[in-house]
Amino acid sequence: MCAATASTPAAPAQRNADRKSNAGATPDPWEACVKIEYGGDRSFAWSVREELIATPREGWPQAEERLLKALALPGGTEAGRAFVCQMLAMVGTAKCVPALAALLKDTKFTESARYALEAIPGSEASSALRDGLSVVEGRAKAGVIGSIAVRGDTSARYSLAAIKGNPSEPAIVREAATRALEHLATAKA
Amino acid sequence: MNPVSPLSRRRFLQQSGLATVVAAAPFILPSGLRGQNAPSRKITVGIVGAGNISDSHFGPLLGDPENVRILAVCDVDQERRDDAAARVNRTYGNQDCKAYGDFRELNRRTDIDTVFVCTPDHWHALVAIDAMRNGKDVYVEKPLTLTIHEGRALVAAARKYNRVAQHGTQHRSMKRFHDVAEFVRNQGLGRLERIDCYIPPNNRHVGATWKPEPVPAGLDWDMWLGPAPWRPYTSLGCHYNFRFISESAYGQVTNWGAHYLDIGQWALDMDASGPVEVEGRGEFPSSGLFTNATKVDFTVRYANGVPMHCRTRFEGGGTVRFVGERGWLDISRNRMSASNNDLLREMQAPGKKIQLPLSNNHHENFFACVRSRQRPIADVELGHRTTTVCNLGQIGMVLGRKLRWDPVKEEFVGDEMANRLRGRAMRSPWALT
Repeated sequence: MCAATASTPAAPAQRNADRKSNAGATPDPWEACVKIEYGGDRSFAWSVREELIATPREGWPQAEERLLKALALPGGTEAGRAFVCQMLAMVGTAKCVPALAALLKDTKFTESARYALEAIPGSEASSALRDGLSVVEGRAKAGVIGSIAVRGDTSARYSLAAIKGNPSEPAIVREAATRALEHLATAKA
Repeated sequence: MNPVSPLSRRRFLQQSGLATVVAAAPFILPSGLRGQNAPSRKITVGIVGAGNISDSHFGPLLGDPENVRILAVCDVDQERRDDAAARVNRTYGNQDCKAYGDFRELNRRTDIDTVFVCTPDHWHALVAIDAMRNGKDVYVEKPLTLTIHEGRALVAAARKYNRVAQHGTQHRSMKRFHDVAEFVRNQGLGRLERIDCYIPPNNRHVGATWKPEPVPAGLDWDMWLGPAPWRPYTSLGCHYNFRFISESAYGQVTNWGAHYLDIGQWALDMDASGPVEVEGRGEFPSSGLFTNATKVDFTVRYANGVPMHCRTRFEGGGTVRFVGERGWLDISRNRMSASNNDLLREMQAPGKKIQLPLSNNHHENFFACVRSRQRPIADVELGHRTTTVCNLGQIGMVLGRKLRWDPVKEEFVGDEMANRLRGRAMRSPWALT
């Protein structure tokens, strides 16, 4: 029998010292997740996602608050903000709609904001998407129109009809409005 | 007995004595000019997506020149579409097959009857719905769609436009799977205790990080992504490997699960319904390009109490095993075994009370239904239901908790997060409308 070669466990005082020396060295995943890059390590985002998934419904407001803080951090990347919006799509409520509505106006983040808004139930998200019709243009506007249709927001019919008949709108937008109106009519029927 | 596989053109000709006459005068006319049911008419085909899975269609279709004519191919990769068109033209000895980079152009051709959807999964619903809107019948590769919402929308489109729509789960047209499902349905195993599905391993590990690369010449990356969220191009995440990235597919859960879980659904008589509960414990990579489970393990449970397990098998490939009070039957594409040979003998005995529809060729069944306007052996409703089981497994593994499912309302009971995962927004300008 050979002697045990495992290192001797550190004394409690040493373990406490180690913990203190490491305090602050590890980034908060809820802050780091908004700074991930395409192709970069996404472990922090993974940690946030796992924590979020394990959060019971009553804990969603706190989780949403943390996501909104992350979204507001300076230095948020395209991939990072897209990730946070994906998480808001899972747990977001009316509370995050103003932040997403603001993001919808930023051409770099229109898509990410819309992904979340489309998934969030309630009239606030519907209203933000309808308001977005006068803010975004071209392909992004076609996307907003699609989200409105998928949500079954029949109150947007008049706006969509106006877009459909507006010759100054690009074909891609008018076509999206036509489809959306058909979709809403079918859904209503 | 074959209630869903009506008379094929060849059989019709053989039985009607018209074979000689028609063989001497082959012709192709678009649907608008002749009755679509006319057995003398070749069915025209467009194939959207010229990658890996399309090979399983080009061969049989090109090998059936009496009945089928491929008129067009489409792929966002120029090299692939040109190669595919050249293959078709070489076979036919002409230059008639056109190559497209945008499926919408192909779908708008009035001389094409049917469209085969062979794209990455995130495109299935949109391409198929657009084709049906344009009057085409569709053969949609498995899984039917990426999400549950897409699946329901696709089925609704098939009904709205009155199109024949076949799901590419060709096990439904393989006799051994038919026989097992029928045997189980007739209580051949006695009381069914459980179903075990095994699927091949998922994504290999490619590192915690990856490097965006320049988009190769000839590849329309924006169109390749289509409704999927934008990300930079990398060769590791494009052709074939897309299936390991959850924005495009759910790995082997939908790739092979769509086949084996489908036979479980069939044997349980759940083609218009599904399980009522799911619980999963998948293992997912915490970083890296690939995001789907490296180890799949989930269980769905049906209202009659029977569980169906789906797990990764790292050695030995896919299979489905039915376990009942009289023993077990294990079946894959290549082999069938049983706990005792009596079961295999009984399975082949005629005169079963419940007889399942029989098709011996998935393509032939589809084309026959295109002519007869009957529902095919793997109609999209049951394709959607099977794909939903795959989705339930994926969502169950992602959330890691037991979920209750209402197969009538197609919603989770009491879990808002799970319900939000039934669909996803599409990148503009695409939408599920």
